[in-house]
Amino acid sequence: MRRARKIKVDHNSEFELDLAPLLAVMVKLVPVLLVSSAFVQMMVIETELPQVVNEAIQRQEDQKTPTNVALEVDPQSIRIVITEKGQEKVETIAMKDGAYDLQGLHSKLVDIKKAHPEVFKLELNPDGKVPYDIIVKIMDEARQARDAKIKFPVFDTKQGKNVETNYMFPEIVFANTMEG
Amino acid sequence: MSRRRRYEPQVKKNSTFGLNITSMTDMFTIMLVFLLQSYSTSDVQINPEKDIRLPSSASMTNATEAIKLSLSGNALKMDETKIADVKNADFLPQDLEDKDTNFIKPLFQELDKIAKSEDLKDKAHVKEGRILLQADKDLPYATLRKVMYTASMAGFPQLKLVTMVGE
Repeated sequence: MRRARKIKVDHNSEFELDLAPLLAVMVKLVPVLLVSSAFVQMMVIETELPQVVNEAIQRQEDQKTPTNVALEVDPQSIRIVITEKGQEKVETIAMKDGAYDLQGLHSKLVDIKKAHPEVFKLELNPDGKVPYDIIVKIMDEARQARDAKIKFPVFDTKQGKNVETNYMFPEIVFANTMEG
Repeated sequence: MSRRRRYEPQVKKNSTFGLNITSMTDMFTIMLVFLLQSYSTSDVQINPEKDIRLPSSASMTNATEAIKLSLSGNALKMDETKIADVKNADFLPQDLEDKDTNFIKPLFQELDKIAKSEDLKDKAHVKEGRILLQADKDLPYATLRKVMYTASMAGFPQLKLVTMVGE
């Protein structure tokens, strides 16, 4: 009987991988990605301005809604005005170490949202002297709860039950835009 | 006299050599990862204005197609075109309406032109009245309010404020 011939395999042999096609792909990909890269990331905050006619219509409709939350930002303080069933309740957040107490504002807004989970609209009335940067920071504090554990119930009409969200007042309206 | 022959090294004229591209591939891989991270998925590209310092926000909403306005300490621009001058964080008196100092005449004219333009009036962003506003973070609200007021009067009530990501 003939013995099968053994093929000699050198397990320690080295071979060089041909990287040229991989490099060719990368050379093509890099310029494409360079063109479509955004090195400065910019996002937007959505707000709505009241239109002259719409405002008048809305005012009539708003009489039915029980609660209205407004923020009045002065150079010295922030005032939260809650109008509930025609009654106004004002809470003032004073300056802290010469700056706006945004932390205090946030915790107050969380409490208001807990008490009125059905309200999503916030009227913002900043004073003319308030810098734009501060307005954006205040909007940030009002839009979403910072603590991920804090959730508010929202009624989902599709599911027919309450779902939870961390959004507080995502609909911010510059209410004093039309004032003279 | 015997002449010594000069030594000539043997050079194969048709020989090839293998270039070591491993390090170059490494470099490209790092670049590719970095570029993929900063890849923009937004539909609309916003070009940052050089004399505007945008405020930072936690908002993660991408920009949509809209009329692009930029307000710096020197000028109010639509795209790249200057509409009105800004001095000491306020508009010049000649650009404002005499009876209504919140009304910026050149801005209203430009927005009105767009709203009535045959080419643009049927576009969704013009119909819905969307505006993307890039404004300097140090400007007072009074200056911004004039832009908001005029835009609202011209039928552009949906204002989107452009912000930077992060602190």
